[in-house]
Amino acid sequence: MSNPTDRSASQTPAAQAPAGQTTRRITVTVNDTTANHDIAVRQSLSDFIREDLGLTGTHLGCEHGVCGACTILLDGQAVRSCLMLAVHADETTITTIEGLAEPDGTLHPIQQAFHESHGFQCAFCAPGFVMTTMALLNSNPNPTKEQIREELSGNLCRCTGYHTILKGVETAVQLYGSGRRDASETTDTNRQDGGTANA
Amino acid sequence: MRKSLAKQALNADTNAPAMGRFVGQSVKRVEDQRLLTGNGTYVADVNPEEVVHASFFRSPYAHAEILSIDLAAGLALDGVIAIYTGKDIERLTNPFAPLASLANQYTPVFYGLATDRVRHVGDPIAIIIATSRCIAEDAAELIDVDYKPLATVTNHREANDPTIPAIWPKNDSNVLYEDEKIYGEIERVFARADHVFTETFSCHRVSNQPMETRGAVAEIDPDSGEITYHAATQSPHLLRWILAISTERESVVESLKYLATNRDRLKKFGAGAKAFLTEKKDDLAKNDSTASTNQIKKDPSTLAHLGRTFFNTLGSRRYPRVVAKDVGGAFGSKGAVNREDVVLLAAALDLNRSVKWIEDRSENLADGGQAREEDMTISVAAKDDGTILGFRVELVMDQGAYPAVPFNCGLFSNMIKAMLPGPYRLEAFEMKMKVVASNKGRYLQYRGPWANETWVRERMLDIVARELAISPTELRQKNMFGPEHLPGKMVTGPDLDEDMTAAATLAKAIEVADLPAFEVAQAEALTIGRHLGIGFATYHEAAPGPDNFWESVNPGSDAFLPERVDAVLGRDGSVSIKTQQLPHGQSHETTYSQLAADELGIAIKDVTLVYGDTDNTPFGLLGTGGSRGGPVGGGGVTFSSRQLRRLILDEAADLMEASVDDLDIIDGKIHVRGVPALSKTFADVARAVTSRGQAASTANAIETHVVYSNAGNGGWACSTHVCWVDVDLETGFVTIPRYVVVEDCGQMINPAIVEGQIRGGVAQGIGAVFYEKTVYDESANFQSSTFMDYLIPTAMEIPEIEIFHLETPASVEADFRGVGEGGMIGSPPAINNAVENALAHLGVRITEQHLPPTRILELAGVIEAE
Repeated sequence: MSNPTDRSASQTPAAQAPAGQTTRRITVTVNDTTANHDIAVRQSLSDFIREDLGLTGTHLGCEHGVCGACTILLDGQAVRSCLMLAVHADETTITTIEGLAEPDGTLHPIQQAFHESHGFQCAFCAPGFVMTTMALLNSNPNPTKEQIREELSGNLCRCTGYHTILKGVETAVQLYGSGRRDASETTDTNRQDGGTANA
Repeated sequence: MRKSLAKQALNADTNAPAMGRFVGQSVKRVEDQRLLTGNGTYVADVNPEEVVHASFFRSPYAHAEILSIDLAAGLALDGVIAIYTGKDIERLTNPFAPLASLANQYTPVFYGLATDRVRHVGDPIAIIIATSRCIAEDAAELIDVDYKPLATVTNHREANDPTIPAIWPKNDSNVLYEDEKIYGEIERVFARADHVFTETFSCHRVSNQPMETRGAVAEIDPDSGEITYHAATQSPHLLRWILAISTERESVVESLKYLATNRDRLKKFGAGAKAFLTEKKDDLAKNDSTASTNQIKKDPSTLAHLGRTFFNTLGSRRYPRVVAKDVGGAFGSKGAVNREDVVLLAAALDLNRSVKWIEDRSENLADGGQAREEDMTISVAAKDDGTILGFRVELVMDQGAYPAVPFNCGLFSNMIKAMLPGPYRLEAFEMKMKVVASNKGRYLQYRGPWANETWVRERMLDIVARELAISPTELRQKNMFGPEHLPGKMVTGPDLDEDMTAAATLAKAIEVADLPAFEVAQAEALTIGRHLGIGFATYHEAAPGPDNFWESVNPGSDAFLPERVDAVLGRDGSVSIKTQQLPHGQSHETTYSQLAADELGIAIKDVTLVYGDTDNTPFGLLGTGGSRGGPVGGGGVTFSSRQLRRLILDEAADLMEASVDDLDIIDGKIHVRGVPALSKTFADVARAVTSRGQAASTANAIETHVVYSNAGNGGWACSTHVCWVDVDLETGFVTIPRYVVVEDCGQMINPAIVEGQIRGGVAQGIGAVFYEKTVYDESANFQSSTFMDYLIPTAMEIPEIEIFHLETPASVEADFRGVGEGGMIGSPPAINNAVENALAHLGVRITEQHLPPTRILELAGVIEAE
């Protein structure tokens, strides 16, 4: 996973608001819906997602970039939404936890995998783990056990001791990763998630 | 003594269903559909109309007088609605007055906000209400307080120093509680010993740290004044009543006037109180009345506060309804009522509008709950052959500044006392307990609040074994209660039944560990400079424990333990189970549905668990905690569902003109055995009851309930942990190549959920030993206020944890034993013992639980100790 602060450091077009200007208009695609939003320039991306969009599945565990509960996909990359300002998300494509399951409630294969492995307990951290797993399997459909541990080490869970979460990712490799590997060998247009589509 | 409902039901029931369709299976979680898709409702997700936001302004000082507070700049900020300080809160609320004090204990009387002085970093001084959380936090920056710093108390040595003034001036010193208990002939036993070994152990302060911080939304209906308090809590009914008694602030005269004109209230309350007092007469009589008289002598205001609280509560116009849906973990911390809860509700009531408070992580680290900081000196009387005769223990517990509400260190020290002898046959035991105040955050219950008894005992047994040149496992086996000693009794009183299988878990652990092979590997590794070690720890845990368990902790405190569970047939034929439990990760919706579905012959999806709403769940003060969800709540679900089944079948028998004894329920269809074609559904039964005008309520056809406490006179969950370590003396890092838990919790309702609880507990133990520490400097300045300072272990730090279940069949039905806390009880001593075993050849003795890399290197003599 990339350093969550990389993005905010490198991409700042909308952030360069004229001095004194406290709101900005941004255009952002969230879970396949594109819309304009007038936002406070000081608003964090996580607050924008939770408060302005009402997508409360993205959780705030520490608000200082350590726990990973607020992880979302931004242009396909896992980022900590508490460490980014919403203005930085201008002209990006975001996937949150709400964007994964089918409208009829059918779980996404990664969610299904965590369900089958008894992945979580209180599940406050679950959305962050699911999104991190998705970013991992999108870039590496068949990770080793050690790679899984390493990639997930940026997300904290206080309930499980991680055992069932790691099992869940291993199951997700079967249900999702290997499907992606096959897909990537043939065509790239049949992706199951919106997160990696180019903005 | 309470009779065992399990035994009665087992004998009385002739129509029990074929058990075991779901119970015992690792049924996939019912909760997952909403929680994995981001559709849970945690308290931060609750946003009533027109809600405004709160932030607390907190003390940067550990101990200081508040000379003045200037709010002008904060109030002038656009978007700020109001700011309340301690002076306002004195006017708007009743203080926290001791509800459950012990004899020889002084419990400070205090308000939700600091009034005259601050007592720890993070002590709340003001609440700011604003249109957004950002603005409230901005305003906090603008509050100007003039402080006069006071001498600080940072540890129990300073707390014992009579020259340092008391943090709570109404007490003579910083010692808040002192007591002593002797069991058996301690003097004679120690005189008879061949050896007396003495060691002092010191445990650092750690913090519960659930991933969801604290928070609440006080929702006020501005027209009706109705209060709905949404909270991240483990105990909604407890929170409700403490909010009620704290935020009603009328003169006693006003309250009495109200009561006089509201006969209904008086009658209802009188009837409830009479029923409670009659039922609990014996339990309540055991309470030591000197507790209250001592408290009142030290602080006469206690009496006035308690008196007004009583009349205000009685005459209250509006009791809050507490609601909690999904809770993001707690580990004990959300079983305490927060000072902030009372302040938040008082502010919302004063403004007559909804207010939301979600704390940040730094606040949670500072005052969301801390625990475990205690020192114990233990002396062990032993014979040459390794027979252990007795323990003498002196405990000092550092509770921080404000006592947690309602359970505090006085009670926890007595839990340590009751359990310290563990599953061992001692002849005598002496326990001296002391609780002191310091300028730190709240000490509250954390996953096995008594856990350090196991740490100290199991650590000390390894030391004694080494001194006597006996293997640690042999020493344990020699002194442990085995089948031949059971039923028996702990030296501190609690009964031990035949299902107290600590010795069996140890035997299995020894078998799994293969010590001879390990010793060879250990010796070989040492020749190439690798330090391998192995450590054991065995404990038994009252989950929920025998009838006389609480008698040994604190007589009278079991009055609130039995738990009511309602089983309900809706008018539409649906089945609901209503519980006072408040799941926050334990998967009650799954396990309780398994239990009810098996009893009623229906599918798991056909059971709805109703929890987390004081308007719609049975009363109970404990909520979820104390590893009671399986044994007490689960047993209650079994027997209330069974009662509901009986009532449904009675009705169906009439409908079908059949004998009730001939009826069975399969897949929700009621039919005469052997004649499945002719069947009735639960909806048919509900309709029949309703059409006869016999429906239990407007919503339900049949309502029934049981009040349940335990299954038989046992309730011990037993376990042995084995930890293997590989200590790197270049870096001081310790890896755990293998970790084994052998446990016996009787029949498991859902093995995957049991294992999740165990592994999660072990992970917290690993965190406590190697990574986590709540740090205050020598002036009580808080040093660990972020997750960069307070290190929660990640997936990289937690090894595979192997679990072996003994699942000894119980002699009574529904004898599920709790597993919520045990993982964290057994792991610190097993890990510490393993590290000492790895470094024993260097003369290392581990007496401090916390072993970060620098400490390992210091102990091994690689670097010099500070």
